[in-house]
Amino acid sequence: MSPQVNAPHLEVDVYEKRWLLLSVVLLVLFTLAIGLSSFAYGIQVPSPEQRVNPNTVAQEGPWAQPGLRELAPGKYEAYVLAQIWTFLPNTITVKAGSTVTFYITSKDVQHGFQLEGTNVNLMVLPGQVSKLTATFKQPGEYRFVCHEYCGVGHHTMFGKVVVEP
Amino acid sequence: MRRALVYGLAALVGLLVIAAFAFVLLQPIQVLPRIRLAPAWVLRDREGRLVSNEDLRGQIVLYTFTYTRCRPPCPQPDRTMQAIYRRLAAADLGDVPVTLMTISFDVAHDSPAVLKAYAAAWGAEDDRWRFAVGTDPQRLKTVIGEGFQVYYQPREDGRFDFDPVYILVDGWGIIRREYRYRTLTPDVDRIVRHIGVLAEEVQNSRGAARLAYEAAHLFLCYAP
Repeated sequence: MSPQVNAPHLEVDVYEKRWLLLSVVLLVLFTLAIGLSSFAYGIQVPSPEQRVNPNTVAQEGPWAQPGLRELAPGKYEAYVLAQIWTFLPNTITVKAGSTVTFYITSKDVQHGFQLEGTNVNLMVLPGQVSKLTATFKQPGEYRFVCHEYCGVGHHTMFGKVVVEP
Repeated sequence: MRRALVYGLAALVGLLVIAAFAFVLLQPIQVLPRIRLAPAWVLRDREGRLVSNEDLRGQIVLYTFTYTRCRPPCPQPDRTMQAIYRRLAAADLGDVPVTLMTISFDVAHDSPAVLKAYAAAWGAEDDRWRFAVGTDPQRLKTVIGEGFQVYYQPREDGRFDFDPVYILVDGWGIIRREYRYRTLTPDVDRIVRHIGVLAEEVQNSRGAARLAYEAAHLFLCYAP
């Protein structure tokens, strides 16, 4: 008589099955949301461009005179230099409806750049240039802050974009 | 039978995912990003002929913007252009034509005759390195400032404030790379290498290989 072997039968509780299903559905949903938001809504991921030399970046080229430059009516580029513990420049004034492309780099330690009311939210690393474009439709003051801890003066590191009507 | 089918399908999907990851990580093909369309323009070249961007369709074009009275300490972008011009003369790019294009924003001073003397001084002998200038300052600002997004500003003494910028445009008129500031890799080396990457794509992305190149674009396999 051969021994009767009971094949182990995996009994999964119906509630557990539902939870498993729910977690898979959530994963799929969130993956779709990332894809949709990046392609359909054009959310820009800050991209590290080519590396610069943080020791000389403030001496030559566009960051030697950081600031706002007008490319054409309503179109600007802003070269911003982050350093301990200030942004150069720390006030940028444009007219409502303007498009500003920010090129930001650091000459010392790691900083951050977050501009309220826009999707500009960047890490500013020495040696790298962070670039993002924002359009200012509504007049007002848009403050920007360093949101990566950079030393004892970190809390004094802020500035603003003034959008005039 | 049905179970075999399910396992087979799962294995196929898994293989596809692994293949996609391998493609992204190993990057067997690298391309330059398609950034945006380059602006259209009509300018006068050093012989006084009208030239437009349409004349340069099908050619890789490297643009820079300067003025002929630019002397040190003015950053002379044509020094870089000259080095690239010499390197390209020795490079093997197959049958892909490459044109260097220096556009002057000094409408008041730089006439075709001035451009001609300037080009000769830099050793630009043929149409592989072209020089051009506009006639209407406002229209030129629209092309260079708004279109190419390159800043320049006349000063009171007739000189200009600007930084050297190089813009690489492909044969379809799409901007593929912008060089706006000095990096650890010298500009000449980067630009010559990128022109090579672009020429390779033009030559090789035919038939089935085209799909692989499109995959490289889709997965952002960009040449550093």
